[in-house]
Amino acid sequence: MARILCIWFPDWPLRRPDTPADRPAQVVDASGTVIAVTGDAHVLGARVGMHRREAEALAPAALTLVSDPGAEAVAFEPVALAIEDLVPRMEMVSPGLVYLPTAGAVRYYGSEDTLVGKVVAAVEAMAPGGRFGLADGPFAARMAAERAVAGPVIVADTAAFLAGLDIAAVGVAELVDTFRWLGIGTLGDLAGLPREAVASRFGPIGLEAHRIASGEDRVVHPRRIGEEVVVEERFDPPLDDVERAAFAARALAGRLLEAVAPTGAMPHRVEVEAEAATGVIRARTWRSSHPFSEVELAERVRWQLRAWVESGGVPGGVVRLRLVPADLSDRGRQLRLGEDAASESDARRALSRAQGLVGPDAVLQAIPQGGRDPGERVQWHRWGEEPEAAALDPKAPWPGRLPEPSPALVPPDPRPFEIEWDGGFPTRVRLGSRWEPVLGWAGPWRQTGRWWEGEAAADRYQVVTSAGAFLCEVREGRCWLVGVYD
Amino acid sequence: MPLDRASLLSGALSAPSPHPVAPFAITAEPGRVLGLMGPPGSGLTRLALALLAEPSKTGMVAVVDVRGWLCPVAAWEVGIVPDRLVVVRCPDRSAWLRVTAALIEGFPAVYAEVPAGVCDADLRRLGALSRARRSALVLRPVAGDLPGGVLHLRVEADAVVWHGADRGHGALLQRRLTLRVSGKGVQGIPRTIELVDEGTRALPAISGSAVHAVG
Repeated sequence: MARILCIWFPDWPLRRPDTPADRPAQVVDASGTVIAVTGDAHVLGARVGMHRREAEALAPAALTLVSDPGAEAVAFEPVALAIEDLVPRMEMVSPGLVYLPTAGAVRYYGSEDTLVGKVVAAVEAMAPGGRFGLADGPFAARMAAERAVAGPVIVADTAAFLAGLDIAAVGVAELVDTFRWLGIGTLGDLAGLPREAVASRFGPIGLEAHRIASGEDRVVHPRRIGEEVVVEERFDPPLDDVERAAFAARALAGRLLEAVAPTGAMPHRVEVEAEAATGVIRARTWRSSHPFSEVELAERVRWQLRAWVESGGVPGGVVRLRLVPADLSDRGRQLRLGEDAASESDARRALSRAQGLVGPDAVLQAIPQGGRDPGERVQWHRWGEEPEAAALDPKAPWPGRLPEPSPALVPPDPRPFEIEWDGGFPTRVRLGSRWEPVLGWAGPWRQTGRWWEGEAAADRYQVVTSAGAFLCEVREGRCWLVGVYD
Repeated sequence: MPLDRASLLSGALSAPSPHPVAPFAITAEPGRVLGLMGPPGSGLTRLALALLAEPSKTGMVAVVDVRGWLCPVAAWEVGIVPDRLVVVRCPDRSAWLRVTAALIEGFPAVYAEVPAGVCDADLRRLGALSRARRSALVLRPVAGDLPGGVLHLRVEADAVVWHGADRGHGALLQRRLTLRVSGKGVQGIPRTIELVDEGTRALPAISGSAVHAVG
């Protein structure tokens, strides 16, 4: 097992300009899981890995920030460069978490202590507060880094180090509970069990836990792909803004995974290489403990490009971008029943083409979110991007919400709509140039609005005519069309 | 005694038959073009989304939205899973043809609103493409009509009657669409059908006994 040095900044997501110095804060990722907390928030009870709601309930005074990995990658770039000056083959997992294979560097610098000393000095000069752990394999190195509060931890006997760790390090909550119930409290207890027995009782997930506990990390079955699979794209004019970079990143990530997919292999590690207009070539390796999905890979490439573009690492813009996969495993994605890979890649290609024609903002997918009006109940996101978790819970009760069926057409902005009223009842509506008598109507569904901000209340009515049914809204005496039951 | 012609005819017309006309179902078939004609409010968007619900069980489906009005809530209500639906907004007539062609090439089913002013030859080309790619295409002109040669089945909205809302009480519950269908899909015999739609599930009446031919 290769010796790995792990450099970890637990609070990297918090190192941003808008983190308040005088009040507790926590950072959540796009799925709503807490990924970093300040010391004050920790005292109040917020912990990494909690759900946002839970953390907010425990520490109501804390400010919740949403992480921006792109900006974090930009901020991390100087640190990455400083490390690369010492050890060239660095692997990034996320901004703030880096693995260095040390074999070559140790030979060059003489000893592990010297190497770690040099890396610590270089990193501390750029950004203090990092944790350093050196052990056999990335998992043990990471565990060592977590314990390196008072200075770098260099683990000589990895098996003994791991044996003393609490079973929670396995990281799968259900499995951990079962293990504890069976009296297995440490990784050493787990490693002491026969592997076949663990595999037959817990399946692949248990097997992986056993491997980790035994210090056999990175269950990558090295596979050779016949020809070197490399995807490359040239850009003319050079790529110099982040938006275009994101677009290119996704296209290229898709192509790479498509190229390796027929072999059933998926990369755990990808080298991103960019050539600047001036001829400078930059390369950075990103790794992941599970095989990259297209979205994850595209995100990594985008962060890296943004970091290079914004830090001036690629003067004149990127003219060539190249992705080289490494560490392929055969844990490719299993398609669902009734799903077929060819049709999926066809659809993907069609949508990329459509994006090229109408722009990424016009190719959309939607997820449900909570709300009262049909328009409010939709959260749009660009196709190919991971949707943000719905801010408003669709399962929560929404008093005053309109009943099903919902209008199939909802204008982006309410349209003026003419209705004639008689004693509070609608009698006629104007459709184009003609007036249609109202055959039936229902409502009003009243929405009180944010009256404390001066927002007027609105009444929604369903109005039925012989030409169809319409949803309209009366607000401050004016009537608007907000939906057509088409 | 020989019956005279008039009495024979009237008897044939008035005699109740267990199956006056075989039940007919509107479906989105691979390689076939279906045209939906009717003004906004006539209930055809929901019908088109319901037609996509079946193909969405096995793959992704796409909607070309010309006006930017389409509300996916209605699509979810008729049974399309959110991550299987992609909406492409394309108000630009010049890009519309290429966008729709690209989607036909990649998707098993596409519902496209047709902006005003798309020429007949282009629509025929799309029809040929959908036949070649075995993709179900549902077209809905925002204004005007569609050329006859393209459509396998032509559906025109005749009337829509909503039930549930009364004089201020109740809420929209159920609708009854009267549609005139014609074209090759009905062997060239135009007929009128009625659909009853509860709005919450994939049109139960499209492929069931509730569909009855009236004409």
